[in-house]
Amino acid sequence: MNAQMPVLIVVVPLLSAFAIAAAGWFNRRLCMPTAAAALGVATLCTLGLLLRVIQDGEVVYRLGGWAAPWGIVYRVDFLNAPVLVLVAAIALVNLVATSRIVVEEFPGKEGAFYALYVLFVTGLLGMVVTGDAFNLYVLLEIASITGYALIAMGRGRAVLASLNYVFMGTIGACFYLLGIGYLYIMTGSLNMTDIASFLPPLYSSKAVITAFIIIMVGVWLKMALFPLHGWLPNAYTYAPSSVSSLVAPLMTKVMVYVMIRIILTVFTPAFTFRALGLNQAVVWLAVAAIFMGSLMALAQRNLKRMLTYILIAEVGYMVGGAWLGNRAGLTGAVLHILNDGLMTFCLFLAAGNILYRVRGLNMEDLRGLFRKMPFTMGGFVIGALSIIGVPPTCGFFSKWYLILGGIQAGHYGFVVALLFSSLVNLILFFRIIEVGYFEPHSEHRHEGQDHAPSMEEAPVGMVVSLLIVASGLILAGLYAGDIVQRVVNLAIPESIV
Amino acid sequence: MISLSHYLILAAALFALGVLGVFLRRNAIVIFMCIELMLNAVNLTFIAVSRYLQDLGGQVFVFFVMTVAAAEVAVGLAIIVVVFRSRGTIRVDEIHTMKG
Repeated sequence: MNAQMPVLIVVVPLLSAFAIAAAGWFNRRLCMPTAAAALGVATLCTLGLLLRVIQDGEVVYRLGGWAAPWGIVYRVDFLNAPVLVLVAAIALVNLVATSRIVVEEFPGKEGAFYALYVLFVTGLLGMVVTGDAFNLYVLLEIASITGYALIAMGRGRAVLASLNYVFMGTIGACFYLLGIGYLYIMTGSLNMTDIASFLPPLYSSKAVITAFIIIMVGVWLKMALFPLHGWLPNAYTYAPSSVSSLVAPLMTKVMVYVMIRIILTVFTPAFTFRALGLNQAVVWLAVAAIFMGSLMALAQRNLKRMLTYILIAEVGYMVGGAWLGNRAGLTGAVLHILNDGLMTFCLFLAAGNILYRVRGLNMEDLRGLFRKMPFTMGGFVIGALSIIGVPPTCGFFSKWYLILGGIQAGHYGFVVALLFSSLVNLILFFRIIEVGYFEPHSEHRHEGQDHAPSMEEAPVGMVVSLLIVASGLILAGLYAGDIVQRVVNLAIPESIV
Repeated sequence: MISLSHYLILAAALFALGVLGVFLRRNAIVIFMCIELMLNAVNLTFIAVSRYLQDLGGQVFVFFVMTVAAAEVAVGLAIIVVVFRSRGTIRVDEIHTMKG
């Protein structure tokens, strides 16, 4: 059982998706518990794997016992073990937190919804665990296709946003696949470590350089790095709240992980950071992403839409940090995958809670919310402090490493962008806190009454989940030193200083 | 004699046609077909290389890509049908709300 853990985290959710779809026809009340059980098993397995990696180092699993060039190899090391835990845990908590919304929002469609939900998580977990470049494409498409369908389940313009996402996402996957095809031409293999062992003599070849750039463009499209971000704001704004709190924190982070995996494992840091000579350009692209995301976030009047633009800026943080090419920058980027996943999850969960009660997320809907939903807003404030980067929340520590990396690399544009974006986040969230705290509730404003409206919190399950995630943000901050020393540091090759 | 590079040039031309189509055409279904054209160009690359390397692996991968593409088309066309029902058009420039 212990030895099978790497494959169980993919197979259990995958098979449960069929069971859930079948349960949707016979007894819809079984859908949610089945999904919860499957994701629970997956979460336990990821935790077990993380502990095993910390104790014994890398875990390699050959599917069906087939060795590398022919079989698919799952490889769990210090880089992907924490990402696996993040994905499985967020998916599980979100499933429990939003079960009430799902029943009310998609009556009669629970079977389809939960089957898609679990398949989406399967795709993400598979992408993180796999050590095979082509397998990664298939799982990327599983996650993307189910993601399109989940987003299209929203109301209003959700279908159009999803169509736009289908076009852009498919093109992104196509680019990735073409790049992998070129690597296959050059090396005759699709296994990541195998490709890595064949590549070094070929680094000056134009085909390999083209392959690398094409793969990067595909991955950037999927993670919505500026200027390839066009599909993201609409898709995540119009998605149902139970979907946006799952897709928004996870999809972009997993793609950043894939980018780092390709930079570090498939290619070598020496090739990416020195031979290729694209560092500066990519970091400036990230700087543009941070500025653009922050400025666009300032212009938004809708909370969820504002969060999506913050997400675009955060993608810039991680891409910039990774491409600085030094240890501090990469540490910041990997740590920020974990922290940003938690922070955006916390904020989108809070937005889901607010939407559940207030039925709108525009600025005027947020008036008097601290009186109406004190616990939800408490969780929201912790998430906001973490995005701004206030210690002891976890957002501070990854931002610290990123800024340190920027200074060490002498890239002051990146440092300025990070500080600018922190200031903008401060303005953004304090504007919301001001509206929520000082302005009277909209229902009472017109009648001239100024007394406190009665408390009307979201359902207990949703509030408790939100508070658990919010306390997770503080815990991740308090243990940031341990996480960096025992996990993140070991994920980065020693050749990077 | 047709060599590997001929196949690769054909595939690259198909891929470029697909990219052009995505940018130039305005009908959602035609855009979708252009994306499929890009995918098929990649498939052609895989098959040509697999023949050149005398390695069946590449052809097996193409089967996977075709399966994935079929799933993608199913979801994409379903979304286009829903858009057509609600807006009465599938021309992306007439669906003004695509952007805003």
